[in-house]
Amino acid sequence: MKLKVASKILDANERIANENTGILKSKGIFSINLMSSPGAGKTTLLEKTIIALSSKIKIAVIEGDVAGSDDAERIDKLHIPVIQINTGGGCHLDASMVQEAVNDLPLEGVKLLFIENVGNLVCPAAFNLGEDIKVMLLSMTEGHDKPLKYPNMFQTSSALVINKIDLAPYVNADIEKIKKDALSLNPSMKIFEVSCQTGEGVEKWTDWLLTLCS
Amino acid sequence: MHEVSVAESLLKTVIDQAETHNCTKVDKVIIKIGRASGIVSEALTFAFDALKPGTIAQNAVIEVIDVPVSGICHSCGSDFNVDEKYVLACPCCGSPSFKLTAGAELELSELEVN
Repeated sequence: MKLKVASKILDANERIANENTGILKSKGIFSINLMSSPGAGKTTLLEKTIIALSSKIKIAVIEGDVAGSDDAERIDKLHIPVIQINTGGGCHLDASMVQEAVNDLPLEGVKLLFIENVGNLVCPAAFNLGEDIKVMLLSMTEGHDKPLKYPNMFQTSSALVINKIDLAPYVNADIEKIKKDALSLNPSMKIFEVSCQTGEGVEKWTDWLLTLCS
Repeated sequence: MHEVSVAESLLKTVIDQAETHNCTKVDKVIIKIGRASGIVSEALTFAFDALKPGTIAQNAVIEVIDVPVSGICHSCGSDFNVDEKYVLACPCCGSPSFKLTAGAELELSELEVN
């Protein structure tokens, strides 16, 4: 017997992602899936963001890594709710991992949830976690060719944060090319230029976050 | 890129569908894989075969329908088809701004069951 099915293979993930959206919406939490390659500065950006917004809104963080709890330990020092997910080799977070973390986190009063994805410029773009928006972080040291090499990441993100702009003079990377290529892939993308090291540009980014949570 | 987790999801969907229709055995699983889905068919089949023993799909064979990439350009408006896996620019005008209309599929299309 033949059965016509026509269902998306990742439907199971989509269903759980939709549940996550419902859970977070009911608690009044805005959620951001933060994606980048390893070492671009996701956790450092989160540290700067949490410190800058500590007196304004309550933030929580879900940390995704293949192994270890270094990132969660860094965030924990800032005394906000944080939980570490280890994918045990998996190259991305999926919606069920996030649901488990959301259920375990104390989220009373939290307005903004960051889900720091596994460092990877390919797979995280394919898995909906139920977040409100995806934000992509790219550091100047990765080079200006990345938008056109990893188009999916740029096409699915609402904003691009370009980090390590203080290192631009030393790495021969053209920030104008990054912005031009990112916008050609995704004309509505918001772009922020920051240095988490010097603090330059961080305020514009955190001001934007506040508008999302209001 | 992440064929094992996709294969887990596929196997679960196959079993759910078969059980919904009161079937006890799945013989064939026909899936559509777009060339721009980022999924390597051989790796997905390999992972599925590794996961299926002990389930009602343990004898199921995967048949892959390969879906080429096509799109519509935001700049020049042309409908285009390409042979490549990735499209970085419209083949007609070179613009990187386009919408894929096919090629991203990752779908369970049909089952042969008993």
